[in-house]
Amino acid sequence: MKDIEHLLRVAAIFLVAIALFVAVRSVVKPESYGKLGRYRAAALDEIKALPVRYAGQQECGPCHKTQAREKAGSSHRGISCESCHGALAAHAAAPKTAKALKPEESSMRGFCLRCHEAAVSKPAKFPTVEGGKHNPDMACSMCHKPHSPKI
Amino acid sequence: MRELPRRDFLKLTASALLTAAAAAAAAPVAWAEKFYREPPWRRKKPYWGFCVDIEKCIGCGRCVDACKTENDVPREPFYVRTWVERYIIRKDNEIKIDSPNGGMDGYPPVENPETVAKSFFVPKLCNLCENSPCVQVCPVGATFKTEDGVVLIDRKYCIGCRYCIQACPYGTRYFHPILQVADKCSVCYHRLRRGKVTACVEACPTGARMVGDLSDPQSNVSKFRENNKVQTLKANMGTEPKLVYKGLDKEVR
Amino acid sequence: MHDSVVIALRDTLDKVTGFIYPNELELQWSILIVLYPYLTGLVAGAFILASLERVFNVKVLKPTYRLSLLTALAFLMIAPLPLQVHLGHPERSFNILFTPNPTSAMAMFGFVYLWYLMAVLLMEIWLDYRKEIVGWADTDPSWLKRLIYKVMTLGVFKPTEKSFVIDDRVGRALTIIGLPSAVLLHGYVGFIFGSIKANPWWSTPLMPIIFLFSAMASGIAGVMLLYMFLCWARDVEIEMPCLDTVAKYFLTAVIVAFSLEMLESIQTAYEAEEHFDIIQLLIEGKLYISLIVIQICLGSLLPILLLGLTQIFELPEKVRKVFYAVSGTLSLIGIFAMRWNVVVGGQFFSKSLMGFTTYKLELAGREGLFSASVIAVLPFFVLAGLLWLLPPWENKPGGAA
Repeated sequence: MKDIEHLLRVAAIFLVAIALFVAVRSVVKPESYGKLGRYRAAALDEIKALPVRYAGQQECGPCHKTQAREKAGSSHRGISCESCHGALAAHAAAPKTAKALKPEESSMRGFCLRCHEAAVSKPAKFPTVEGGKHNPDMACSMCHKPHSPKI
Repeated sequence: MRELPRRDFLKLTASALLTAAAAAAAAPVAWAEKFYREPPWRRKKPYWGFCVDIEKCIGCGRCVDACKTENDVPREPFYVRTWVERYIIRKDNEIKIDSPNGGMDGYPPVENPETVAKSFFVPKLCNLCENSPCVQVCPVGATFKTEDGVVLIDRKYCIGCRYCIQACPYGTRYFHPILQVADKCSVCYHRLRRGKVTACVEACPTGARMVGDLSDPQSNVSKFRENNKVQTLKANMGTEPKLVYKGLDKEVR
Repeated sequence: MHDSVVIALRDTLDKVTGFIYPNELELQWSILIVLYPYLTGLVAGAFILASLERVFNVKVLKPTYRLSLLTALAFLMIAPLPLQVHLGHPERSFNILFTPNPTSAMAMFGFVYLWYLMAVLLMEIWLDYRKEIVGWADTDPSWLKRLIYKVMTLGVFKPTEKSFVIDDRVGRALTIIGLPSAVLLHGYVGFIFGSIKANPWWSTPLMPIIFLFSAMASGIAGVMLLYMFLCWARDVEIEMPCLDTVAKYFLTAVIVAFSLEMLESIQTAYEAEEHFDIIQLLIEGKLYISLIVIQICLGSLLPILLLGLTQIFELPEKVRKVFYAVSGTLSLIGIFAMRWNVVVGGQFFSKSLMGFTTYKLELAGREGLFSASVIAVLPFFVLAGLLWLLPPWENKPGGAA
């Protein structure tokens, strides 16, 4: 026994260290870890609770009936309002205080042309114009109403 | 121990070998039966999938902008959760790819359009891999696949080792400069769970992007996969993406 | 700090060639991650050299046995530091130990490391020195050292003679376990890279074994140079049979490492898969100096030539020493370049295989050259401390009990 006393002491140190590790682990390990898989289940709730910025198409129609009806019958019917008007979840939640955005009248032409400028990369069926030749000095909205662009 | 006579030993060895050989010969048949793997969305509801129709994408970049707004992605061109690449393939087979600022501000005009054989836009995002290399390598389980098939990141648990960024074959991950954790497309999980579509789908004016439930045979994505010939990116990686493309060219990487 | 990263990235935007995915502009694993496999490699190599004496009874290596063990320990203690410094959230690093993901090669790091440090290296050194430690606890002139030695005896001040016989046997068993552990430790580092299928420059089953043999080369070279330096500093004669033998093992390791690297390259070139073009561009371009010139020519071929000459011709002692010193230094530089070429080189090209990003090594900052240099020098301070506490040579006051 005396010959291996030092080894026994080392073994004791190792055992204490392992016990300590197990103890610390049980305290530190997040409670929800492993509930659903090898991750912190609470993270799912945190991610689900993240704020929404885009309200979604279904939110606009009930208030903006005229525009919705106008758009529904036009070639822009597939486009969601927020695609042009930007993220409006805040406005949908508090319509009085949070103002809706409108694409600036002055930069409108550039905004329209982002989609409708002719380019070889765009699908052939997609309606485009050559911005430099197609009434370059006029605002698009002079002829094409954004909610119902066909003249 | 009792000694085994040499003859018996040899007999025993020979019969063991024969049994093993018979099993090996029969095995391919057994494996072939298992070769069909039932997709996970047969068992779990919902199960999210994403479809991109390259033939509809006009490269307007509204999706990139919407994604950055919805998810507080840093507004630098080198941090994106989704981006749109433009491929220009010339008649002499020269290939040029660009994605300035992720495609958010549009693209410069194509030079010498008459020499272009074909050109198109390819939106990119998380590929929703069924066998995600990023989840495989994460040392702590800070990136994980949810029950409904989405790969997410636990920002409070990620240690910032960046192994997942190395492991993603599609380059969809980046290191968030403020949070100091890995970040990626979450397919707007917070929106999906509220019954809304992703911000990029919301903002897409042409319907080139679709998100939906693969477990529902009537859903937009199920119908799209049924009615079109679709492909995934880098199929050789064995990642089995649930993001599929219609009209993918062989040059797309 | 974070702003400086963003500003630096903005500057590199126009240095991209071809097309890369937007997120690939930032090179994620910097010089610190180059340093990490380098340091671990030195550990594994030094330990394997020590094991040769012990397991395979190469008695002539006795003078370097303890030095190799202490070198391995010194480098092992610093090896996780570059990883720790590199983490985005260093304070969460313990998550790796508490909730390891079993499918992650990296998650195993903590356990392999702890096993190797605690169970193998510390134990082996302790058992080997125990006889002396007990003696020094009484006789050392410094009270501080006496106190440390007393703690290190774990309260067993009067050990029996038989216990030392047992120690010797346990120590031997530990080395036999330690050898595969050292192989595991470094092979595993290679696997961290070799298992990344997304990166064709990394993804090869040869990676662990290439890392292992270059680790052996670097560790043996490191101990060889340290031994020569310490003999010079202490003004004692170098034991040439020992040095010659170390050099012979060193040559073997360099040859095997180099052959494996070439085998890997030939395989890649011959198969010429989709990614071959971009890798060729990488080697001919951004990695030309660090791969062709430093790693292959200066770091592998020249040492093989010099060491080969010492094997073929009977060169005088002085020339041999110079050849050993030069080839050892070259090989250490070459293997650092190899780690660089793997880690940083593998991130230069886009996973789209259509272009390259760039990496500018900053001077200051958490991941700059300065902090990397500090980390690279630290093991030598640790080693100096270990040599002070546990002198590996025998003619020291205090002596063997």
